[in-house]
Amino acid sequence: MSTTLPASVDDHHHQHDHRPRRSRNRWLWLAIGTIGVAAIFALRAFTGELESVGVPGLTADLLTLATSVIIESLPFVVLGILLSIVVQTWLPDDLLMRYLPQRPVLRRAAISLFGIALPVCECGNVPLARGLILKGFSVPESMTFLLAAPIINPITIVTTHQAFGFDDGILVGRILGGLAIANIVGWLFSLHPQPNAMLTGRFAQQCAVGSHGPRQSRTEKSLDIFMRESSVLMPAVFIGSLIAGAIQVAVPRDVLVSLGSNPLWSILAMMALAFVISVCSSVDAFFILPFASTFMPGSIVTFLVFGPIIDIKMLAIMRTTFTAKVLLQLSLVVALMSACIGLVINYVV
Amino acid sequence: MWSSLQRWWGVILILVAVSATVWLGATQQLVLYIHPRYVVFTVVMAALALVMGVLSLAIRPANTEEAVAPRGWSRVVGGVALLLSGAIALTLVIVPPTTLSSATASQRDIVGSTVGSDSQNVDEVANADDELIASFTVVDWSSLLRQTSDPNFYSNKTADVVGFITASEDDPANIFYLSRFTVTCCAVDAQPTGVAVYAPDWANEFDVDAWVEITGSFEINPSSRSDLALVLVPETMTVVERPSEPYLY
Repeated sequence: MSTTLPASVDDHHHQHDHRPRRSRNRWLWLAIGTIGVAAIFALRAFTGELESVGVPGLTADLLTLATSVIIESLPFVVLGILLSIVVQTWLPDDLLMRYLPQRPVLRRAAISLFGIALPVCECGNVPLARGLILKGFSVPESMTFLLAAPIINPITIVTTHQAFGFDDGILVGRILGGLAIANIVGWLFSLHPQPNAMLTGRFAQQCAVGSHGPRQSRTEKSLDIFMRESSVLMPAVFIGSLIAGAIQVAVPRDVLVSLGSNPLWSILAMMALAFVISVCSSVDAFFILPFASTFMPGSIVTFLVFGPIIDIKMLAIMRTTFTAKVLLQLSLVVALMSACIGLVINYVV
Repeated sequence: MWSSLQRWWGVILILVAVSATVWLGATQQLVLYIHPRYVVFTVVMAALALVMGVLSLAIRPANTEEAVAPRGWSRVVGGVALLLSGAIALTLVIVPPTTLSSATASQRDIVGSTVGSDSQNVDEVANADDELIASFTVVDWSSLLRQTSDPNFYSNKTADVVGFITASEDDPANIFYLSRFTVTCCAVDAQPTGVAVYAPDWANEFDVDAWVEITGSFEINPSSRSDLALVLVPETMTVVERPSEPYLY
């Protein structure tokens, strides 16, 4: 990578040629960054040896839970940002568009299947969906992708199969249910008269600037996207994880579990659990596995369909892109539909 | 100043988070937070993000966004989000890594826990050799205790188990739970399991949350305040270091 550092061939937008100063600056900032990271490591190595810093039991557990959510979702966030960079920078502009059907319904159906090729869970999907909007997808189309991809991505399918096999229609119910919800929600939002009004001001502005910003080399553009996406997503991941940890400490788990055997209540309890715990779709099958004997199969499917789309962390992350009103409508529609899917399975199986 | 802080805040946060992750990986403590099967993937992605983060600092892409100075409420919200996420980042590097404590174990219903209820089967264990029985964890024993409370079944079997102390609610002076968390995904889903231990006035010698190793056998519960049928009566009880893999899988 170091050979590409000083290369700023595309700096034509600068009125004067600052190349020598700029490249010296780059080495300076590379040094600052490296020293900064080394300092973090040194501090961590020092504090890691301490016995305790006097945090009492429940607060310590809150931090452990929040840290656990952060560490569990971080690799998927990074993967999502990297894939978003690939889609926006390294793929030809019309590659995805070229083969898509023209009719909106078929088009969304095709988009909802994209996820099969993309191993990202929901938090990684948000940067990817943002990338798709910047690339020219309509808002409802990218929303279809956003809802379907975490459920039908290959990692999710494999882990769900590892956890449940084909028992009780849980795997099939999850995949079909997720696709149905994504397509129906995409259709509902396509009825919106002004799709761009669903986006937050900051992101809509970014879309408007997007294509005719200053020219950058591909490396610069990639790092630019990395910087942008992490500045949007990371505070949301952190705060969402903290809230999720706090609620878990505050609400006793057995309150939810005691509702497990009633067909209706167990579905509502599962949705509440999915909303609170906020783990990624790629691993949530293992999360729910210990509860499989307590809850009915349809309620497990509800958990596995609702959780990837709507939870505390996800709402915080999606708020970076969509307005609060859209998220409220989305939550209601998805909650109703996943509850229906669960009820059908509870009564049929 | 405000706008460039906002621009770079995410990179700073991600650098802090992945540095903490890489450090946990290097010191083999990631298992305190996630199941071992995710460790390699997590460390690889963290290392990639570390490189990307430092390089993006170095290249410092030209600002393509017209900076809009936030006003009024959005400025307040932005400021709070910045402070709060910064505080969480700080805890990631300041607070020593630790397991979940007994506070969460009792909140998650250690008594009614059905974790690993099929981990051992009474019929198969009835004539098991000592070596197998010595390898049983608290999860195995609590699974057996849920299946049978016949004292004869346990009479010739010596338990050798490690766990941390969670106080019993019924008879906190004489009984505690020797407990472990079972993890299938990450610490978020940790389920407590434990066996009741009868040790009068244990609190004089041991602290709640302390890790202890106990050898002993299961006998009829002498305590009148607790309605458990059988409890573990220790022969030896020693404080031990927290195991390097404190959770069971």
